[in-house]
Amino acid sequence: MAEAVVLNLVLFLPLVGVALLVAVPKESGALVRGVSLAVMVVQLALVAWLYARFDSSVGGLQFETRVPWIADWGVHYQIGLDGYNILLVLMTAFLGPLVVAGAFTAIAKDVKLFYAMVFLVQFAMVGTFLAQDLFLFYVFWETMLIPMFLLIGIWGGERRIYATIKFVLYTAFGSILMLAAVIYLVWSLQKTTGITSFAFSDLVQTQLPLDVQSILLAAFALSFAIKVPMAPLHTWLPDAHVEAPTAGSVILAGVMLKMGTYGFMKLGFPLFPDATQLYTPVLMSLAVLSIVYGACLALVQDDIKKIIAYSSISHLGYVMLGLLSLDLLGIQGAVLQMVSHGLVAGGLFLMVGMIYERCHTRELSAYGGIAKLLPVYSVFFMILTLASVGLPTTSGFTGEFLVLLGAFRAAWPLHTAGNDLPLVLALVAVTGVVLGALYMLRFALGFLYGKARAPHQPIVDLGLREKAILGVIVAAVFALGLFPAEPLKKTELAAKAYRELIVTPRLTARAP
Amino acid sequence: MNTAVVLTAMLPEHLLLLGIVLVIGLEIVGRGRRAALAVAFVAVAAAAAAAAELAVSGFSAAPFAGQFSVDPTTLLVKAMVLAFALPVLLMARDEFAGGEFPALLLSSLYGVCLLQSADSFATVFLGLELMSLPVYVLILLAWRRPQSAEAALKYLVLGGTATAMFLMGASLLYGSGGSLAIDAFPRALAGGDGLARAAVVLVVLSFFLKAAIVPFHAWAPDAYEAASVPVTAYMATIVKAGVLLAALRLFGRAELSSPMLELIAALPLASIVWGNLAAMRQPSLRRMIAYSSIAHAGYLFYALLGDPAGRLQAVAFYLLAYGLMNLLAFAALPAAADDLGRDRLDNLRGLFHRAPFAALMIGVAMLSLAGIPPLPGFVAKFLIFRNVMASGHTTIAVLGLIGSYLGIYFYLRVLQLMFMSPDAVVAGGGGRQRLALGASVACVAAAAVVAVFPGWIIGRF
Repeated sequence: MAEAVVLNLVLFLPLVGVALLVAVPKESGALVRGVSLAVMVVQLALVAWLYARFDSSVGGLQFETRVPWIADWGVHYQIGLDGYNILLVLMTAFLGPLVVAGAFTAIAKDVKLFYAMVFLVQFAMVGTFLAQDLFLFYVFWETMLIPMFLLIGIWGGERRIYATIKFVLYTAFGSILMLAAVIYLVWSLQKTTGITSFAFSDLVQTQLPLDVQSILLAAFALSFAIKVPMAPLHTWLPDAHVEAPTAGSVILAGVMLKMGTYGFMKLGFPLFPDATQLYTPVLMSLAVLSIVYGACLALVQDDIKKIIAYSSISHLGYVMLGLLSLDLLGIQGAVLQMVSHGLVAGGLFLMVGMIYERCHTRELSAYGGIAKLLPVYSVFFMILTLASVGLPTTSGFTGEFLVLLGAFRAAWPLHTAGNDLPLVLALVAVTGVVLGALYMLRFALGFLYGKARAPHQPIVDLGLREKAILGVIVAAVFALGLFPAEPLKKTELAAKAYRELIVTPRLTARAP
Repeated sequence: MNTAVVLTAMLPEHLLLLGIVLVIGLEIVGRGRRAALAVAFVAVAAAAAAAAELAVSGFSAAPFAGQFSVDPTTLLVKAMVLAFALPVLLMARDEFAGGEFPALLLSSLYGVCLLQSADSFATVFLGLELMSLPVYVLILLAWRRPQSAEAALKYLVLGGTATAMFLMGASLLYGSGGSLAIDAFPRALAGGDGLARAAVVLVVLSFFLKAAIVPFHAWAPDAYEAASVPVTAYMATIVKAGVLLAALRLFGRAELSSPMLELIAALPLASIVWGNLAAMRQPSLRRMIAYSSIAHAGYLFYALLGDPAGRLQAVAFYLLAYGLMNLLAFAALPAAADDLGRDRLDNLRGLFHRAPFAALMIGVAMLSLAGIPPLPGFVAKFLIFRNVMASGHTTIAVLGLIGSYLGIYFYLRVLQLMFMSPDAVVAGGGGRQRLALGASVACVAAAAVVAVFPGWIIGRF
C-alpha cells in the first residue's frame, strides 16, 4: 500500500516542483536550480526504493492504483509498475537530476520557465510509462509535446523554430491517427464483449478480424515509429536534436525515443498480434534498414550532434529487431538496449553540450587533439564512445549482443524451414555493429587525436559538477554492463508475457 | 396557467429582465453610469445561480405548453451559458462606460435563454432574433473605424438572410404538416413530401449561416474583427452556443438518414478543414479566432452525427471547454492604446517577457482549443469523435480528426510568437484591467476543474 502511494508521489513530484518554482523569486537563479535538482534527486531516491521493493518473481502489475476517472467511458486513472516499465522509469528518474545539473551554466534565459518545462516533460514521460489505461496513456503521450515544443523553441539554436514546429507537426500527425485507432479499438471492444474499458488488460482481449487489426496496427505503428524513429520517418530527429538545447537533446535521446519502442512493446504488438505476425517481415526490414541507414548517415556527418542523432536511429533499430525476434533473449536484450542507449546517448549529448559551452561550435572539423587539451574530458568521452560501439563490460555490449543472439536464434529454425529472410536480416544487422564502430571511432579519432586545435582557446577542462555528472553515468554504464542479471530478472516475466501475447494467435483462439 | 410555475420556470429570464429594466432606469435618471455594469453582473449571476439551483433540484415544467418548457438538463446548460456572460461583463469594464452595453447584452442573453427552452418555431424565431439584433448594435457600439460599420452591415444583411431562410422553412413546414411545434422538424427529417424536405434544408442552412459554417462563413472574420474584444468574446462563445443549442433542440432525438446525413457531415467537415487552413494566415487574433470558431462550429455540428441520446451531452461539454478557453484568451489579452493594434499577432511577439501571466493564459487557451491533452479541449473533442465513431461513421470521424490536425499549427504559432520571438515594440498599454484579470483567473480555475474531473462534469449533462 505504501508503495502505491510512493508511486503516485513519484509521478506527481515534478508538478510539485513546478509549484515550488512558481513560489521562488525570479531573481535568485541559484535557488531555482537548487530546488529543481533537489526535487529530481528525491524522485530518483523514491524510484530506487520502489525498484528495490519490486518483486521480480511476480508477473503483472505491482504497486497499482486504480480509480475511476471518466466513469461513463470506463476510463480509469490506473498506474503501476511492471516488468515492462520498471527499468525505463528508473532510467528516466536517473537522467532527471543529470539533465537539471547539466543545464546549470548553459541556460541563462528564463531559467524558471526552463526548469518548469523540464519538470512538465518529466511528469509526462513518467506518466506515459506508468499508465495502464489507454486513455491515460494517450493523455500523457500528447502532454509531452508541449513542454518539448517550448524547450526546443525557446532555448534552442538558430533554426530552433523550424525544428520545433517540425517536431510537433510530425509527432502530432502520428498521434491523431493513433487517436482514431484508440477510439475505434475501444468501441470494438464494447461492441463485441459489452465491456467499456480502456484498461490495457481488457483491451488485449479484443478479438478483431485481421484486416481491422492491420489498419489499427498501422495507425499505432505510425505514431510509435515516428517517435522511435524508424527510417523513413526519422527526418524530424536530426533537426530537433541539433537545434535543441543540451537538456532537450538528453531528454529526447535518453527517454523520449524509448516511448516509441515501449509503445510497440506494451501496446502496438500485443494489441494486434495476428497483424504483427503478418507484418513482421516488413517491420523487421524497416528495423534493419534503420540500423544500417542510420549508421551510414552518421558516418558522413560533420555536425557532432548529428552523428549522435543518427547513431540513435541505428541503435533503436536494434531494439525493434529484438522485440520483433520474439526470442526471449532478444526481447530482454531490447529492453536492456533501451536503457543502455538512454545512458550512453544521454551522456554523449551532455558531453557535446559541455564542449559547445566552451567553444560554441559543433563542427567536427573545427576540433582536433582534444585529448591533449582536455585530458579528463577525453577519458569520459572515450568510455562513452566505446560503450556506444558496444565494447564488452559496457552496457552497450550486453544489449546489442543479446538482441543479435536472439535474432539469430529465432531466424535459424525459420531458415531450416525454408524462410531465409530473418537470417539475412540478422546478418545485415551485424554489419551495423561494424558500421557503428566505424563512425564512432572516426568521430573519436578526429575529435580527440591529431593536431591540437579548438575554435576557442584557452579552454578549461571539466569542473567538479561536470565530472560528477559524467562519473555517475559512466558508473551506471559499467554497472549495467557487468551485472545485467539483476535488471534482466526484473523484466524476465514481462518479456515472457509479451512473447505469449503475440505468439498466441487470437483469431484461431476464438474459432470453435 | 399557474403563476407560480411561470415565475419559477422562467426565473432566470425574469432576473435578466429585471436587470434590463434597472439598467435602463438608471440610464433614464442619469445616475450611476458605472453602476450599470455592476447591476448587469449581479442580474446575470443571479440568473445563472437560479438556473443552476433549479437544475440541481430537478425542476421541470412547461409554463407555456407547446411554446416553452424547462427540464434539469436544459436548465444546467442555461446556467453554463449565462455564467459565460460574467467574464464578458468583467472584460467590458475597460471598454464600455455607459449603460448601453449591459442593456444590450442582457437582451441578447434573454434570447439565448429562450432558445434553450423553445418548443415551437415561433419561440425559436423569437429567441434567435432577440439574441442577434442586439449583437448588430454591439458591434457598432465601439465605433472606432469605418470598417466596423461595413462589417456590422454585412453581418446584419447575412443575419437577415438567415432569418428569412428560417422563416421560409418554418412556413413550409407548417404548410406541409400543419404544426409549428418543433417535433415537426424531426418528423420531416424522417421522411415527408418535397415541401417538408425543402423546409428542413432551409432551416438547416439558416443555422449553418448563423453558426458560420463554410460556405456561409464569410461574415464572421469581418464581424469578429470589427467588434471590440468583449463583444468578439461574446459572439464567439455565447452566440455560437445559442445557435448550436437551438439547432440541437430542433433535431431532438431524430436519427439522421441520407441525404441529410451527408449534408450534416460534408459542410461541417469543410468548415473544419477550411477554418483551420485559413486561420494560419490571419494577421490578428480576432480574425484567427473567427476562423478557429468556424472550425469549432464544424466539430459541434459533427456531434449531430452521433448517437441521439448523447448529443446534448457532447455539445454541452464541448461548449463548456471551448467557451472557457475563448473567454480566457480574450480576457488575458493585454490592453493597448489602440483597439486595432491590441490583438495584432505581431504585437504579441515576446509577450512572455512583458506580461508572463497573460502569455501563459493565452498559451493554455490556444493549446486547449487545439485539443491537446491534458487540457479540457481534448476530452471535449474526444467525446464528439467517440460518439460519431460509435454510430458507425468511421470514415467521417477519421476525416474530421485529420481536419483537426490541420489546426494545430496556427495555435502553436501564437505560442511561438509569445514565447520564442524577440520582443515587439508596443505603444504604451491602456489601463490596469484588474477585472479582466479576475475574469481570466476564474476561467482558468474553471478549466482546471474540467481538466481534472472531466468524468464528473460529463455525468452532469
